[in-house]
Amino acid sequence: MRTMQSQSTDLYSEYVRDWKEKGGKVLGYACVATPVEIIEAAGVLPYRIKAFGHPDTELGDAYLARFNCRFCRSCLQLGLEGSYDFLDGLVETNGCDHLRGMFENWQHVKKYDFFHYLKVPHFLREDSLEYFTDELALMRDAVAGFAGTEISDDALREAIDTYDEVNAKLKRLYALREQTPPAVSGTEVMQVLCTGSSMLGRDFSDLLDEVLEEKAKARVTDYKARLMIMGSATDEVDLIADIESTGALIAADALCFGSRSFWTRGGESGDPLALLAERYLGHLFCPRMFNDYERRIEYVLDTARRAGVDGAIITYNKFCDLHGVESVSQRMDLERAGIPVLVLEKDYGSKADTGRVKTRVQAFLERLGK
Amino acid sequence: MAEKEIKGYEGLINRASGIYGLLKYFPEDMSDEEVEGILHVLPKDMSSAIRAVMAPRIRKTSLALLKGMQQWFDGAMEARAQGKKIILVPFNFPPEFVYCFENAYPLTSEVLTVAGVAALEGQGERYWDYAMGLGLPDYLCSSNTIELGSALTGADFEPDAIISAAPGSCDANSKIHEFVARYLGVPQFILDKPVDDSPRGRKAYRTCFRYLVRDMEEFAGEELSEDRMREVLTRANQATQLYYDLWELRKMRPNPCPNLFTLYAYAVRYVLWGTDIGLDILRSMIDTVKDRLDKGLYPAEEEVARCFWIYTYYYWDWYGFFNRMEERGITVLGDLLGSFFFQPVDTSSRESMIDGLADTCWDYAMTRQVGAQSMSAQWADDIAYWTSQLDADACIYCGHHSCKQTWSVFSMVRSEIMKRSKIPTLMLQGDSWIRRMTPMSALDEQIDEFVNNVLKRKRATAATEVG
Repeated sequence: MRTMQSQSTDLYSEYVRDWKEKGGKVLGYACVATPVEIIEAAGVLPYRIKAFGHPDTELGDAYLARFNCRFCRSCLQLGLEGSYDFLDGLVETNGCDHLRGMFENWQHVKKYDFFHYLKVPHFLREDSLEYFTDELALMRDAVAGFAGTEISDDALREAIDTYDEVNAKLKRLYALREQTPPAVSGTEVMQVLCTGSSMLGRDFSDLLDEVLEEKAKARVTDYKARLMIMGSATDEVDLIADIESTGALIAADALCFGSRSFWTRGGESGDPLALLAERYLGHLFCPRMFNDYERRIEYVLDTARRAGVDGAIITYNKFCDLHGVESVSQRMDLERAGIPVLVLEKDYGSKADTGRVKTRVQAFLERLGK
Repeated sequence: MAEKEIKGYEGLINRASGIYGLLKYFPEDMSDEEVEGILHVLPKDMSSAIRAVMAPRIRKTSLALLKGMQQWFDGAMEARAQGKKIILVPFNFPPEFVYCFENAYPLTSEVLTVAGVAALEGQGERYWDYAMGLGLPDYLCSSNTIELGSALTGADFEPDAIISAAPGSCDANSKIHEFVARYLGVPQFILDKPVDDSPRGRKAYRTCFRYLVRDMEEFAGEELSEDRMREVLTRANQATQLYYDLWELRKMRPNPCPNLFTLYAYAVRYVLWGTDIGLDILRSMIDTVKDRLDKGLYPAEEEVARCFWIYTYYYWDWYGFFNRMEERGITVLGDLLGSFFFQPVDTSSRESMIDGLADTCWDYAMTRQVGAQSMSAQWADDIAYWTSQLDADACIYCGHHSCKQTWSVFSMVRSEIMKRSKIPTLMLQGDSWIRRMTPMSALDEQIDEFVNNVLKRKRATAATEVG
C-alpha cells in the first residue's frame, strides 16, 4: 500500500520511468472507452492521462477556454509544458466536447508521430457495435504499426484474460471497502486505481495481490457515514481524502476512474475484437451514451444498495454538460429510492474549493444525522 | 414549488403563438405612422424586436416572415388538434424530414427560443430560471434550455417526441434534449454523427438515419410516402436554389442584403424548408435585396466593415444588434449557423431521397463543422471559404458561453483564419439568448473599437503602402 501511496499521484512514476529506461513505449489515453487490452497486446504501456498536481493552467487556458472543464485544461497544461513528454503517442476518443478539444490542441502543438483517433458511437445498437468493432480493428492495426509488431488474436485474448484477472481483483478490493467495517478507505482505493492506470495489467494484477493480502484483515472504524461518490472524470485523490477527513467513508463509487472502468465487462463473442467492442461499448456507463440512462441508474442503485450507503455525493466539474445534466436525473432517482444526495459542482483540483467542499460534506453529514 | 410560478397560459409556445397570431391583422403595407402607433402600445421587450423588423427598408419582408412564423405556430396547433405527432427537433436537423410525414409536424426548439425572446415581455428568462430551479447547470445552452425549460414546466404545449441530431457535435444540446424527453416521458430518437470523415463514417451515418426513418415511421404510424416526400423535397430544392441566389447577392459591396435578412434566411431554413410559405419568404427577401442593389442602397454613408460571425449572433436585441450595426456601416455578412453547403436532394426514388436527407443532415450547420473528425480543421476550412466568397474584412466570434466545443478550438481557428485569409477575428463573450450576461452597449463598444482600431487602421496602412 505504501508503494501505491507514493506512486499514485506521480505522473512519471518509478514504474513508468523503469519501463521507459528499458526501452518500452507508452501510449497516453484519457477515456474509459479505450480498450487498453489492444495497447498491452502490442507490448506497449497504456497510460491513462491524469492531471496530478493540479497545475496552474495558463497554457491550457490559452488553447482551451475558461468555459472548458478544468480537468481537461489541466491535462493539456501538463501536456504542453512537457510533463507528459515521456508519452510516445496519444489515443484520442470522442468522450466529450472538452476532451476532443483537449486532444486537438495537444496534438496541434506537440505533433506526436503516433496519434490515433478511436471513434466511439454514442449509442448501443447492432450497427454501432459493428462500427465500433471495425474501429477497434483500425486501432489494432495502428497500434501494431506503432509498436512494430503484429497483434495476434492470441495476444489479444491473453490481454483480455489479464484484465479479467485485474477486474476480478479490483472487485475483491471493492468488497473489502463495502464490508462492515471496511478494510480499506475510499482514498486508498482511489490511490490504487490511479496507480494501476499507469501500469501494465499484468503488473497491476501482481500489485493487487499484495494489496489484497495486506488489507484482508485491516479495519477502518473511525467513520460516521458510508457514502457513495459518482460523477465526472476525476483522479482527485485529494478530493476523496478531503471528503473522508470530515468523517465520511467513501464506501462505493460510480466514477469513471473507479468502478465504471471495470465493474461490468461482459461479452460473448468469440472474436476478440468483437468481444472488446461488446465489453467497452456495451458497458460504457457514461452519460455520453444516449438511450441508456435506465441501465446507468440501475447500475448506480445496485452499487448503492450493495454497499449499504447512507447517502450519495454526485460530483462534477464546472462546465461538464454530460454529468451536469445527468446529475439532475440521478439526484431525482436516488432520492426517490430513499438515498439522500449531495450535488457538488466543483472546479477540478482547485485548492480554493477545499474549504467549501468540506463544509458542504459536513453539512450533508448533519443532514444524514451523522 | 416552481410549478406554481408558471400558469398554463404562460408557457413559451402558448404565449408566443398567441402573440404571433395577432400578426394576421397587420396590413401588408403598414405606414410609418401605424408602426409608431403600435410601438407605443407594445411592451418594452417586444417593442424592441418590432422596431427592428419594421424598419422601412425591410418591413415588407419582415411582415412576410412574421406571418410565416404565425402560420408555423398555427400549423402546430392544428396538427395537435388533428391528432398528429408534434416532433421537437433541434436547429441542426432539417424540418422537411418531418414535413415528409402526413402525421407529424416539426417544432424547432432553438427557433422557439428566438421567437420567444423576440416576442415575450421578460424574454425567455423565466423559463431559463425554471430549468435552473430544477438543478440544471447554469452553463447549459440558453438556445434550447429556454424553450425546453418552458416544456419542463408542464404548463406549455408539449412535444410528442424529440429528435436529437446533436450527439457527436454538441453535448449540451443533446443532453438537455435527452433530459427533457425523459422528464416528459416522450421518446427521443437519436441521430448520432460519427466523428469520422471517411466513407465508412458517412455510411454509418446513413445507416443511423435509416433507423431514424424506421423509428419515426413506427411512431407516426405511417410509411413515408414517396409522392409526399417528392413534393416536400422538390420545394426544399427550390428553397436551396433561392438560398444560393440570395447568397450571391450578399457578395456585393456594399452589401444590399440587410443584416436581419441573414437571420430570416435561416429562420426559414430551420422551420419552413419544404413549404410554400418558406419559398414565398425567400422570394420576398430576394426581391427586396435586388431592388436595393439596383438603387445602390445601403443604410449608412459607407460600408465600413464586412464582418462574418464565425459561429452565431446575439438574439436578444435585434434592433441593437442587426439594425444599429448596419446603420454604423458594419455589415453582418452571415454566421456559421446560417451558412450551408446543401446539395439538391435527388428526388428520383424513395431511397435517393432518404440518402439525400441524410447527407443534408451531415452537412448541417454545427454538425458539419464540430461534428467533424477535426473540429478546428473543418471549421477553419468552412470559414476560409465563406469569408473569401463574401469578401469579408473581419470575423467575429460571439463567445456564447455554452459552446464548449467551439471554445475548445477557437484559438486554433482564429490563428488559421489569420494565416489563410489574412483577416482578424474579434472574440467577444456573452450569452447569445440571454441579455443578462453582457449588455449590448458593452458588445457595441468592443465591436466599434475593433472596427476603428484594427480594421480602419489596416485599411489605412494598406492604402499608405500602395500610395
